[in-house]
Amino acid sequence: MAIGGGGFGSTGRDHALDAYIAELAGPDRPRICLLPTASGDPKEQITRFNATFRRLGCSPSHLALFRLGDQPEVEVREHLLAQDAIYVGGGSLANLLAIWRTHGLDEVLREAWDAGILLCGVSAGSMCWFQAGITRSHGEPRATRGLGFLEGSNCVHYANDAARRPAYHAAMLAGGIPGGWGVPDGTALVFAGTELLEVVTGRPGCDAHRVDVVDGELVEKVCEARVLEDREPDLADVDPALAEFRAQRRRASGLAGGSRVSGWRHAGAEGGEVRRAGRG
Amino acid sequence: MEAGNPLLDDYVLALANKPRPKICFLASASGDADHYIVRFYRAFDAGRCEPSHVSLFRREAGAPDLRTHLLEQDIIYVGGGSVISLLGVWRAHGLDVVLREAWSKGILLCGVSAGSLCWFREAVTAFHGEPQRVEGLDFLPWSNTVHYDGEQARDRSYRQFLVDGLCPGYAAEDGAALHFVGERLVRAVSSRPHARAYRMRCVRGRVVKSAIRTRYLAEGLPALSPAAAGRRLSVAPDSGPAEVCPPTAIAAGARS
Repeated sequence: MAIGGGGFGSTGRDHALDAYIAELAGPDRPRICLLPTASGDPKEQITRFNATFRRLGCSPSHLALFRLGDQPEVEVREHLLAQDAIYVGGGSLANLLAIWRTHGLDEVLREAWDAGILLCGVSAGSMCWFQAGITRSHGEPRATRGLGFLEGSNCVHYANDAARRPAYHAAMLAGGIPGGWGVPDGTALVFAGTELLEVVTGRPGCDAHRVDVVDGELVEKVCEARVLEDREPDLADVDPALAEFRAQRRRASGLAGGSRVSGWRHAGAEGGEVRRAGRG
Repeated sequence: MEAGNPLLDDYVLALANKPRPKICFLASASGDADHYIVRFYRAFDAGRCEPSHVSLFRREAGAPDLRTHLLEQDIIYVGGGSVISLLGVWRAHGLDVVLREAWSKGILLCGVSAGSLCWFREAVTAFHGEPQRVEGLDFLPWSNTVHYDGEQARDRSYRQFLVDGLCPGYAAEDGAALHFVGERLVRAVSSRPHARAYRMRCVRGRVVKSAIRTRYLAEGLPALSPAAAGRRLSVAPDSGPAEVCPPTAIAAGARS
C-alpha cells in the first residue's frame, strides 16, 4: 500500500487511511511495525505512530536503526517477519535505501513481501517499493531506483509539490524510468501482489494518475480514488462522556455529509452502550 | 561535546591554529537528531568558531553544494551513532569521496564514537547485538574500537578478530582521543583523568595489548615536535554512550 503523502497523525486528515491500514493488517490486534529510517528515526514520528495505531486496535512497534543500541533485545529480522504489517515512514529515499542495504534490510523486506506481510509506506516509504521514484533526497527532485517489488515507478506529493510532477514527466520522457503512478497527499495505491487493486483516499477529490509514455508522448490518465469513510476513532479508548459530547456536537453542527453520518451514528451507538454499561 | 567538559572540544579547536576556525558538524550517524545538533552549537559557540552543520536527511533545506561547503572548513566533526548507517548514508550522497578530498587537503577530521570508527580501515562496532567488523573509509590504515572500558564482549571480539586477521589498531576508552598526523599516531589525550588508549596487535597468534601514554588535557600539554605537528591531522575522541544517546533520547519509552 503506497501513500502519496500525509498519513498517520498528519493534522488528523488522514485518519480514514490509517484505519484502512489497520483493517488490512488483520483482525485481533494486528502487529504493525514502523520503520522511520527515511527521516532518521525521529522520536516524535514514533510516538505519533504508536498512539495512532494503538488507538486503532493494533499492536504497534518500531525499529529505529539509528538507535538499535536502545533495543538490544530486538532481533531485526525476526521482529519484522513476525509482523502483520510493516509501515515505512517518509523522508529521504536515498538515505532510506542506503541504510537498509548496509543493514541487509532490503533482503529481510523481500522475505516479508514473499511471506505475505502487508507492506505500506508514505512518501519515500511509498516509492521504495517500486522500480523507481522521484526524490528530493539531494535537494532538487531527481529519479532514483527503488527496491522494485512493484513494477513501474511512483511519484509522491504529486499535487502538492510543484517541482516533482515536471521532474517525473521529464525523467519518464527521457526514458530513465518506466511508467507509473503519480499520487497526491492523503491518497494511496493498494496492490494485491503486484496488481493494483484500488486507489483510496481520505481526502475527496485527490485522485491518483497513471502516467506512461506512448509513442514518445506522455499520456496521463486519472485513477479515481474511492473516498474512505471518515470514521471516528474506536470509542473503546475514549471517555464515554467525551464521546457523547462529540456526538452531540456533530448532530448540532449539522456537519454530517453522507459518509460522516454513518460514522457518527456508529459512534453514537457505541457511546450509548458504554454509558449504559457504566450505569449498570 | 561532553556535558560540562569542554577539554576535547578546546583541544580540537586549538589544533586549527587560527581565530574562529570554521567547523562543520555531520550528525549522520544519529539520523541528524535535532538534540544532537543543538548540543553541537552549544559546545562550539559562534564566539570562538564559525559552526555549521550538514543534514543529509534534509538536503532540500541545506547548502545545495555539500562539497564546496565541506571543503572550505577548517574542521569537520562527525557525531556518534550507528557507523553502519553512517557509511551507508555518506556513500548515498558521495560524501566518502568528498571527505577523502578534505583529508588530502589537510582539513582536520575528527569525530566521536561512530565518528571515530569511520576514519579507519576496519572498525569493531557493538552498536547492536554481537560486536562485528565493519570496513571504514580507510584514511587511517588501522583498526579501531571505541567504548573500550567495561565492555567484555567487545574486548573478546576485538581480540578474536585480530587473531582472525584484523589489521593492528587502537582501542579507546570513553574520554580518550587518538591524534593522528597523516597515518601516524602522534599522541593520545583525554578529557577524563583515567581514560586510556591501547595499541592492539596480533603477534604469532597471540594478541598484544599495550597501553599508550594518554595525557589528561586538564594537566596541560607539551608542544608537539615540529615533525609531528603536520597539517594532516585526525582526532578520534570517544566520549561514551551518554555522548551519543543521552538518557532522554532512549526510544524504548515509546514502545511500552
